[in-house]
Amino acid sequence: MTRHNLMTRKEFLQTAAGAVAASAVLTTSSVSASAVPKAASAPAERRGPKRGVSVYCYSSDIAVNVTLEDCLAEISDMGTEGQEMGIEILANGSIENYPNPSEAWVKNWHNMMAKYHLKPVEYGHWIDSKLYVEGPEGLLNSQESYDMLVRDIKLANRLGFTCGRTKIGVIDEELFPVPNWREFIKRALPVAEKYNFRMLTEVHTPTLLKGRVMDEYMDFITKEKCTPWFGFNIDFSVFQNKPTSSGRGGAAGSFSKPEEIIPFLPYTHCCHAKFNEINQNCEDLTIPYPEIIKIMVDHDWNNYILSEYEGSDKNNGGAWSAVRRQHVLLKRLLGDA
Amino acid sequence: MLEKEVVQQRGFRNVYKNGQIVGFQVGYRSTYYRGIWLSLSTGFDVTVDGEKFPRDKVTVTVNGKTYTQEEMKKISDVQWHNYEPAILTVEKPGGLKPGVHEVKIDWGHRTSYFAPGRTMGGGGGRPSADTTRKLVLAR
Repeated sequence: MTRHNLMTRKEFLQTAAGAVAASAVLTTSSVSASAVPKAASAPAERRGPKRGVSVYCYSSDIAVNVTLEDCLAEISDMGTEGQEMGIEILANGSIENYPNPSEAWVKNWHNMMAKYHLKPVEYGHWIDSKLYVEGPEGLLNSQESYDMLVRDIKLANRLGFTCGRTKIGVIDEELFPVPNWREFIKRALPVAEKYNFRMLTEVHTPTLLKGRVMDEYMDFITKEKCTPWFGFNIDFSVFQNKPTSSGRGGAAGSFSKPEEIIPFLPYTHCCHAKFNEINQNCEDLTIPYPEIIKIMVDHDWNNYILSEYEGSDKNNGGAWSAVRRQHVLLKRLLGDA
Repeated sequence: MLEKEVVQQRGFRNVYKNGQIVGFQVGYRSTYYRGIWLSLSTGFDVTVDGEKFPRDKVTVTVNGKTYTQEEMKKISDVQWHNYEPAILTVEKPGGLKPGVHEVKIDWGHRTSYFAPGRTMGGGGGRPSADTTRKLVLAR
């Protein structure tokens, strides 16, 4: 790689040679931050996704070994000077006395965001269609679904979130949404806009990016012209192309290629940086991170990606080290100091 | 804090009414990764020393309120937080004798965003969770 020590990183990337070199750097899996010259004003200038963590990573330990605040302090350790780490919480689980937290709790929440330099990005919530029964008869009707959704939009706004991982009930193995989904989502669009809240349906394995589930959602998005108030969170599990050590996932035909995300990027306002296994060299063994990140950088997709850990050692305290290793990988791929 | 095991020893004791022991109570920690609406439960089954109690003898207390398992199916707004155990109260005249007892609790729940028929079983999101535990009753 050509050395450009005398230029700042910003100047470097503005040259054609710099752009070529940057894309070459990002395609190797053994990138280290020192290979890219340090910038005079890097964090605000660098392209590509911003980093964050979902407290889901620590769900085996919360309320057993650690408090929510312990998790927030942990996430703060993976930040970059001058940039806030993004976070995702799970409404049912992270919020004391959900869905009615006290004023004191909400105040303390905002204090913790400031103390640990965190940005509330995604609010995980559920429209529980199967509240009473498994279905298909007796699922939650559109009024009840809308009421549940609006309650969460308002609470999320109170806590400073601008995106929701809006889990919609499903009716089959491909995760096709419940029949009345368009009714309650459409009705909630003006509420979402009023509260600056992007309702993002999560695209998760076994859904494929080329298929009827994405067609269904895109048909709605196109007809209703509702961007950004309804869109996607694409969970990187859809790209898992190698099985875990225990043989889970990655079978042929079960995953999408990284480039298949490109047409959906304008409608995707947050992603789950799903990971299963990161080795001691901080390389991901099941999901092609270098390719995914390169596509996002090349297309100037600058929203947050939030870690979600699904490793087999999660129940034995494995998340604490694993999430840090993932962020070392992400820092290398993104050139974060 | 909760105990790491699913079946909680803290809270395991006999229950009195008008000076008589009418049953016993035991706490159960949800192993699902988040809190859920109590009505998503498919039911709690308690077995002690091999004796399985019918569901109509087992009530469920969360947030300080007690529900029968039939009532539990219809309530829309009771959140069972993952940071507190559900206290199961089992009707059994005379209760349990002080000493060591093997307690097994089975619970399942529906998940709206999973394919139909995939109700989660005893360990919820954590298949390795052990739902049988030897507890000491001291009161």
